[in-house]
Amino acid sequence: MSAIQLTNLTKTFGTKLAVDNLNFAVEEGSLIGLIGPNGAGKTTTIRMIMSIIFPDSGQISVLGKASAGESKDLIGYLPEERGVYKKMKVGAFLTYIARLKNVPESEVSRRVNGWLERVALADTAKKRCEELSKGMQQKVQFIASVIHQPRLVILDEPFSGLDPVNSRLLRSLVHDLHTQGTTIIFSTHQMSQAEALCDRIVMIHQGKKVLDDTPSRIRNQFDPRAVFIEPVDAIPEQALAALPGVDRVREVGGGFEVFAKDSEPASTMLARLAAAVPATRLEVVRPSLEDVFIDIVKGSASSDEELAELEALARGSRSDTSGD
Amino acid sequence: MRKIFTIAVREFLAVVATKGFVLGLLIPPVIMAVMVTLLPRLMNQKPPTVVGSIAIIDQSGLVAPRLTDAFSKDQMEKRRADKFREASAEVTKRTGVALPDPTKGGPDANAANPMAAAMNNPIAKAQMEQAMGAVPELTVVTLPADTNADATKTQLLDANPRAALPLKDDGTPDETKIATLRKQKLMLLVIPRETVVRAADAKETDNFAGYQLFTAPRLDPEVTADIRDQANRAIIDARLASNQLDVDKVRSLVERPTADQQVVTAAGERKQNEAAAMLVPGAFMFLLWMSVFVAGQYLLTSTIEEKSSRVMEVLLSATSPLELMVGKIIGKGAVGLLVLVLYAGAGILALIAATMLDLIAWQNVVFLLVYFVIAYFIVASLMAAIGAAVTELAEAQALMTPINLVLMIPMLLWLPIMRNPNGTFAQVCSFVPLINPFVMVLRISGPEQIPGWQIAASIFIGVLTVVALVWASAKIFRVGVLMYGKPPNFSTLLRWVRMA
Repeated sequence: MSAIQLTNLTKTFGTKLAVDNLNFAVEEGSLIGLIGPNGAGKTTTIRMIMSIIFPDSGQISVLGKASAGESKDLIGYLPEERGVYKKMKVGAFLTYIARLKNVPESEVSRRVNGWLERVALADTAKKRCEELSKGMQQKVQFIASVIHQPRLVILDEPFSGLDPVNSRLLRSLVHDLHTQGTTIIFSTHQMSQAEALCDRIVMIHQGKKVLDDTPSRIRNQFDPRAVFIEPVDAIPEQALAALPGVDRVREVGGGFEVFAKDSEPASTMLARLAAAVPATRLEVVRPSLEDVFIDIVKGSASSDEELAELEALARGSRSDTSGD
Repeated sequence: MRKIFTIAVREFLAVVATKGFVLGLLIPPVIMAVMVTLLPRLMNQKPPTVVGSIAIIDQSGLVAPRLTDAFSKDQMEKRRADKFREASAEVTKRTGVALPDPTKGGPDANAANPMAAAMNNPIAKAQMEQAMGAVPELTVVTLPADTNADATKTQLLDANPRAALPLKDDGTPDETKIATLRKQKLMLLVIPRETVVRAADAKETDNFAGYQLFTAPRLDPEVTADIRDQANRAIIDARLASNQLDVDKVRSLVERPTADQQVVTAAGERKQNEAAAMLVPGAFMFLLWMSVFVAGQYLLTSTIEEKSSRVMEVLLSATSPLELMVGKIIGKGAVGLLVLVLYAGAGILALIAATMLDLIAWQNVVFLLVYFVIAYFIVASLMAAIGAAVTELAEAQALMTPINLVLMIPMLLWLPIMRNPNGTFAQVCSFVPLINPFVMVLRISGPEQIPGWQIAASIFIGVLTVVALVWASAKIFRVGVLMYGKPPNFSTLLRWVRMA
């Protein structure tokens, strides 16, 4: 059975088409990453799933019901626009949210304290929310979204604003939920997070679904065209560029990425390089999801400015990868 | 329902459990208490006891002895007491509180009144001193009839009517210096013979001549007035005596009669109580107005806070917008009710202490609660809609101004409606949506009977208004809570109502 089933979903804001005839299903127990550039329609889609806003046309089915409104207590939702009551104590805030989500009264304090311990915030229960750092607040918000042990968890940009340590903690929490059988869908524009966690990735661009597959199959769809080489002795870039079949060479940390011409398979290039230059490392560069992402978005980018922005975004998220 | 209750409890505690609320609740009554107790004392900081003499050039020879008598210590104290008794009687007449009589000895005659009984006469006397200042020390100096008035007049310039009583180094009054002070002339009266006795050629109906009264600069006006009154009285007495009439007899004959004014109503005669008849309805309406607005303001700011702190969507993941709005309205309504009950309770306690509880009828308190619910839901639905539509408090001002203007109207209507609570104007206002709860509270708590059908009709209209406004604001709330960016205007809000 599908936990979520979207059929021909369309939503416009004024003249802007935010979501355009979107179709996808989320299997119960799966962990799905919803990716896409800023403004792609991820948050709008999630809000429609949560019945916070309503589609112009199309059907939504959530946990077998026509809308999330009928099964709110079975769904955990971490919105993109999230906050806490600044003046409220952390423990009181989580207790309030737990009660709102119909957690049995006898369970409430045990769960609140248990979760705070799990995210290393046990000593903050008596502090006001405004005294917490942004990352700490985000962990509190995550607890708020899962404290009622939901069957379906929807996380909108859960990793934004977290440092590497907390990012890893959150990833392990999400992983735990997944192994317990919770259906999870999260949106992100950090491809590395999606790549590391998800069973399946759905990419939305300009309101349309442009990708829907497992991370490895997505990567395989994109033929690798580059070979990474780390020479034993320093050699000039031009020496590599002069080899036959080489399109261009790019220097990256400690070595070079050699791009083959369209006619050359990467394997031929690998053999040729091995013969020509003594190397400590030599490998075919697997395209990351970032490359795929940029490829897709680039195809539809309308201006140079937009392109430059995307490159910058991709580079930014690539540097995040090392930390995570 | 459980969620609405959970939300309402949080909304209530989020206000009530703050220092700001407790202080805000206490400060107005404290300020009022301070004003009531301290201000009259500050205003009663009388200038030092007036010490000096009144010079009189009496060409008739008939006035000076009487005036001398009028300013003897006994007579002056008696006048004080009379004046105080009159003032107390006036207070009693207007409010029903019996004040103690300082001139009567022994336990107070009015012992049934706990407040009066508590105040024994020495204390009452001290209070009179407090309220009216010390008795001036005045002596009347009769100058020979042929004294030069102009020369004496200049002596008034040397007087210092506000001089403090001179003290010796050890703090006791310096009697020698006080004796000099007693001699200073504060006032000069020049009374021609014709003021008292008619000239031989004058007719019986002619007016008497006037007299001259010179005072030193900066003399306490109350003292001046007293001297003038006594001089007039002495002159009239002298006229009566010079016509061979019995002064005391004539005085008692021309005494102004006192009227015991009562209003005839179906329930029997009762004392007219004009001040209370105006003030009690005003107090009722102000109580209603204040509690409704305090609660409405809290609702507005808390809704805006939830939006601007982005906690709104977290809440909406657990509840529906309608549940959230209703829970918030109920929670803040409980705050308003608490304010209403505390202030009304304090007012009722004050009335019990003053034995004036009969000023308010119990059914009026019930009506006050009924109209509170109506008025609060009207204001609250407007506040919830505005709070949900904007992101910052500053943006709310533009939308609040017209609403505030409409809701200020009841304040302006207080006087016209109280003057004629059953007039056409008051009746029409009772059926105008938005303001009719306030108008009805004003009319019901006033002295006139309001037709039952008007009460029923006004409640019916009030409930209809509430239903319509809650319906519309629920729609605005649902759309507005997740709208960020440009603050909407009224036409946008109307579009949201139609759209949702």
